[in-house]
Amino acid sequence: MKQVNLTVNGKAVSALVEPRTHLADFLREQRLLTGTNIGCEQGVCGACTLMVDGVPTRSCIVYAVACEGAEVRSIEDFDHDPVMTQLRAAFSAEHALQCGYCTPGMLATARDIVTRLPDADEERIRQELSGNLCRCTGYVGLVRAISRVLDERRNLAVA
Amino acid sequence: MKAAAFDYHGPATVAEAVALLRESDGMGKAVAGSQSLGPMMNLRLAQPTQLVDLRFLGELRECRDEGAAVLFGAGVTHAAIEDGKVPDPSLGLMPHVAGRIAYRAVRNRGTLGGSLAHADPAADWVNVMALLDAELILAGPDGERSVRAGEFMLGAFTTVLAEDEIIKAVRVRRLGPAARWSYYKFNRKTGEFAEAIAAFVDDPESGVRRAIVGAVDGAPYVIEDASALIDGWSDPAAASALQAAGLVPGSYEYQVHRVALRRAAERLSRPNGAQQ
Amino acid sequence: MTTASDRSSRKGIGASLTRKEDDRFLRGQGNYVGNIRLAGMRDLAFVRSPVAHGRILEIEKPAGREGDVYTIDDLAGVRPILAASGLPGFKRSEQPVLAREKVRHVGEMIAMCIADTRAEAEDLAGETYVDFDELPAVVDMLAGREPGAALLHEHWGDNVFLETHIDADLEDIKARAAIHVHRRLRTARQSMAPMEGRGVVAYWDKRLAQLVVYTSAQMPHINRTGLAECLGLDEGSVRVISPDVGGGFGYKGILLPEEVCVAWLAMHLGHPVRWIEDRREQLVANTNCREHHYDIHAYADRDGRLLAVDCEAHVDSGAYSSYPFSACLEAAQVASILPGPYKMERYRCRTWSVATNKPPILPYRGVARTGVCYAIETIMDAVAAEAGLEPYEVRLRNLVLPQEMPYDNITHKHFDSGDYPEAVRRAVRAIDLPAVRERQRRGEADGRLIGFGLAVFCEQSAHGTSVYHGWGIPMVPGREPAGLRLTPDGILEVRAGVHSHGQSMETTLAQIANEVLGIDPQRVRVVLGDTGTTPYSTGTWGSRSIVMAGSAVGRGCKELRERLLHVGAWLLGEPLDAVRWEEGGVAGTSGRFELAELTRIWYLQPQRLPVDVHVGGLEVHTTYQAQRDSGAFSYACHAVVVAVDPELGKTEILDYAIVEDGGVLINPMVVDGQVYGGTAQGIGTALYEEMAYSEEGQPLASTLADYILPGATEVPSIRIEHMESPAPYTEFGQKGIGESGAIGSAAALASAVNDALKPLGAEVSRMPLSPRAVLEALARSEAATAARAQPEEAFV
Repeated sequence: MKQVNLTVNGKAVSALVEPRTHLADFLREQRLLTGTNIGCEQGVCGACTLMVDGVPTRSCIVYAVACEGAEVRSIEDFDHDPVMTQLRAAFSAEHALQCGYCTPGMLATARDIVTRLPDADEERIRQELSGNLCRCTGYVGLVRAISRVLDERRNLAVA
Repeated sequence: MKAAAFDYHGPATVAEAVALLRESDGMGKAVAGSQSLGPMMNLRLAQPTQLVDLRFLGELRECRDEGAAVLFGAGVTHAAIEDGKVPDPSLGLMPHVAGRIAYRAVRNRGTLGGSLAHADPAADWVNVMALLDAELILAGPDGERSVRAGEFMLGAFTTVLAEDEIIKAVRVRRLGPAARWSYYKFNRKTGEFAEAIAAFVDDPESGVRRAIVGAVDGAPYVIEDASALIDGWSDPAAASALQAAGLVPGSYEYQVHRVALRRAAERLSRPNGAQQ
Repeated sequence: MTTASDRSSRKGIGASLTRKEDDRFLRGQGNYVGNIRLAGMRDLAFVRSPVAHGRILEIEKPAGREGDVYTIDDLAGVRPILAASGLPGFKRSEQPVLAREKVRHVGEMIAMCIADTRAEAEDLAGETYVDFDELPAVVDMLAGREPGAALLHEHWGDNVFLETHIDADLEDIKARAAIHVHRRLRTARQSMAPMEGRGVVAYWDKRLAQLVVYTSAQMPHINRTGLAECLGLDEGSVRVISPDVGGGFGYKGILLPEEVCVAWLAMHLGHPVRWIEDRREQLVANTNCREHHYDIHAYADRDGRLLAVDCEAHVDSGAYSSYPFSACLEAAQVASILPGPYKMERYRCRTWSVATNKPPILPYRGVARTGVCYAIETIMDAVAAEAGLEPYEVRLRNLVLPQEMPYDNITHKHFDSGDYPEAVRRAVRAIDLPAVRERQRRGEADGRLIGFGLAVFCEQSAHGTSVYHGWGIPMVPGREPAGLRLTPDGILEVRAGVHSHGQSMETTLAQIANEVLGIDPQRVRVVLGDTGTTPYSTGTWGSRSIVMAGSAVGRGCKELRERLLHVGAWLLGEPLDAVRWEEGGVAGTSGRFELAELTRIWYLQPQRLPVDVHVGGLEVHTTYQAQRDSGAFSYACHAVVVAVDPELGKTEILDYAIVEDGGVLINPMVVDGQVYGGTAQGIGTALYEEMAYSEEGQPLASTLADYILPGATEVPSIRIEHMESPAPYTEFGQKGIGESGAIGSAAALASAVNDALKPLGAEVSRMPLSPRAVLEALARSEAATAARAQPEEAFV
């Protein structure tokens, strides 16, 4: 067991963890934050993507002990986040989710696209989204939802 | 699919990291972003008993513009290179490549040094660094030594790194202002490992005219003088390079590498960055 | 009859209502099996076979931890999984839940290990040693039928689960047919790869003396029946709960040996036990799908009109017959639906379901239709080429015509309604075929080849008792139930035995209630997935839920409406025939009562009503069967344009249009989502996905880096046009479309790639049409060799 100190969803956390426990398991099993879904544990599917120090990160291939001092934000922490509020509305309006399993990871990536690449066009959105697999939607609603939020934010900036 | 048990260390200095590796007696493994090692450990294909995490070593994240070259700390992330947060000695080649490694979430965590040490033939940096004839600075118990990138990788997933050595930094010489480069990666889908890589650099200032054939069974094959492929296309020169890279004429692999090499050569006449 | 315009403001049938289930998923509050936390729960990991075929000589448990490792010898009384097809000649496989004596595929479970965490359980599994006498493996279905092949189930004498015949004398047709075309086609074995794998949590409820099993499943009632059989329990002492399910696609329509193991161990140990399938287990050990081989001939007259189709088809069924769909549903479907939507005079088909040393198969979205559509559409393209016609023209000449509906085809499929040729004409228009042909003639600056492809098919959905009995599966669906209850405050509780794993049933069933009762969908609570609270159903599969459960809910709502009218008429003091149901309440000439007033009075103020106003109460149980159980046939035409790189073999999709007829659409947004998603999966089938095996039967893809699923850059924008021919035999005219996208897309893409390669004289005859497959086809083609810049380097 190893002591790790980090911030989880705004709260300072000190915990004893087995070094081999990856961040997703730490959140799910020890912190009971089950919103982060595990899809492959191979770093490929993107389902477990969450924010570490403000950037999207695969939580299945990062060990919790390696997050000493890090600020971790999982889907549960974004209820009142303005960008995520926009994204949630757009995801629903564009039918960007079906079974919901990839959704938390998709939202993490979508939020990164919207905030980092305000001028992204459809092609760029698809490239940036390519590390998050979805088996239900065919990505049509996802791409539309992200485009919609980008448009909304561009219009807001112009006004 | 959970990793086998290991002890974890987060050393604060390079010397400490090296000492920990030395003490682990071959059962230790250095890790930085864990974007390549993490999956292999989850699959239990790698089962180090000691994991030495280099991510808390500030000196590994430093980059220094030395004028004629840029010295990259091995811990610089792909995303930092992609976003231009570190100096670029390569007229855009390194940011171009960095932005096409796997996916953004992986690039946020994965490091230049980690990718080189992992030495997957289908990964990008082993190929780019060989192309740019970069110098790898390795730190071990007896201090530092440097190795040319083209001599660093011995085969798939094997390098000259001793068990108690880490990559500390990578020095990349600055390309001249008139230099041209091209990079052609063939893969089945965005972000996946390459099935073929070919790249060229042509720098009139230094006279470097190098090419590589990558994503082969072992280390990338370096064509030190690629003039025959740059000044118009030479089938015999290409064929001999491809065979020297271990590719068998008539195979699928030979075909896709041949096409990648030719297309990379063609793209050399376009402006840098107008690649794909 | 409502029109499209007044529907848009409504929340009932035809409204693209946003989904009731979205909010919890968007906030990370979905409750999948892996999220369930029970006090004292411990984790399970399995020791799985590293060899494809072998005899177990010895199992050595880890020293000191023997008590935490269980083999089949420990599981006294547990019965093997049997899934016997009812078709004559079927040979039964017995699948012990942990291997006994022999293993028959890599990944087959040999022992189970229990520990405080999954990681520790995996440690135990790694320390358990199994000694094998390795046997030769049957890896290819055709080779498995050769004399001398190794035998999976020795007492069979061969490796064939079942052989079927539809016979016809074709001699006269062969003699007069101006066109005869022949193809040998192969489709790859695939993994269905829902984002969430399987998972099971089980415990023994001491108070109720009941086994409670949480499992990620499409058909919890069927899992319950199977669990009770295997464990020797009565069904009353088993409760199966399938909570939120992270995608199904057929993968979760099975009784798993893991479920039986977890349940047995929970009973044996007296504490909750959990097993969550990881991605490697899913890829290398658990069920696959789709691996077919076709040897198909078509005979046509010189105008391209089909005279006969003759086919020999093989299905690689894997090592065991899985419960409940059996090893032979796939082949039975091949035989009965191969003719597709086309007319022909004669049809002959033989099928073999072959046992191989690979995991069992399950029906993946589309089941056999995806392969069948690929086979028949490839042969239609071949007929078109021989006749010198555009491929769509050959379709138009052979499709069943609208004036012929309803139409009984050559295999007695009863096509209920629709205008199939119009779907083709519209799809060809949507893709602007003349412009595509012009572009093809012009050529591309980058040397890529343009190809146009199309596929037309009909999808038998929600077919019932007689159809499935005919296919021999051990689980035959009957009348579909629904339970409805109004609460005192006017909430409608809907309990259905189907499930939702992305299909949006919580929304669409509420829309049907809204259509009948006018109740706001937000005031409808849909309960799914729990055998303790929902009526017995075969569950969600076969594009059946919106037709079967949707109709049952509609009927139940109509019954409730009738009862409420009685209550309202009494309260208004008016005769029953003077009141009507209007905007969510009972309206009479003297006033109205809202639904919530009626329910409050019924439950809490019964003194205001005579005791016999309606004896049924405000809770109903209904069942539904369509007027004919032969199925509601949706249909579609997919049209696609691709660019193929002839040097690298890589295909890019440039344009994609679908014309779809799903009858009356309950929620068009949801329908589009199903079609998009299915099409993306078909793109995976056509271009990327392949579960390959070595000659020793070792799976070659154990990660998602090796098993390539299409991502956002591999799936294009897709345009969908709807036609709307109501189903004549269903409650609201709706048809099932859940599988549709995955059926036509693979065939359309194969057609397009081969259209692109045609100038080089090459044709790919297997899926996926990967760069390697395309380059192999080009290398085989002499024309291609001649056209290449460096003929001496032709790829072989």
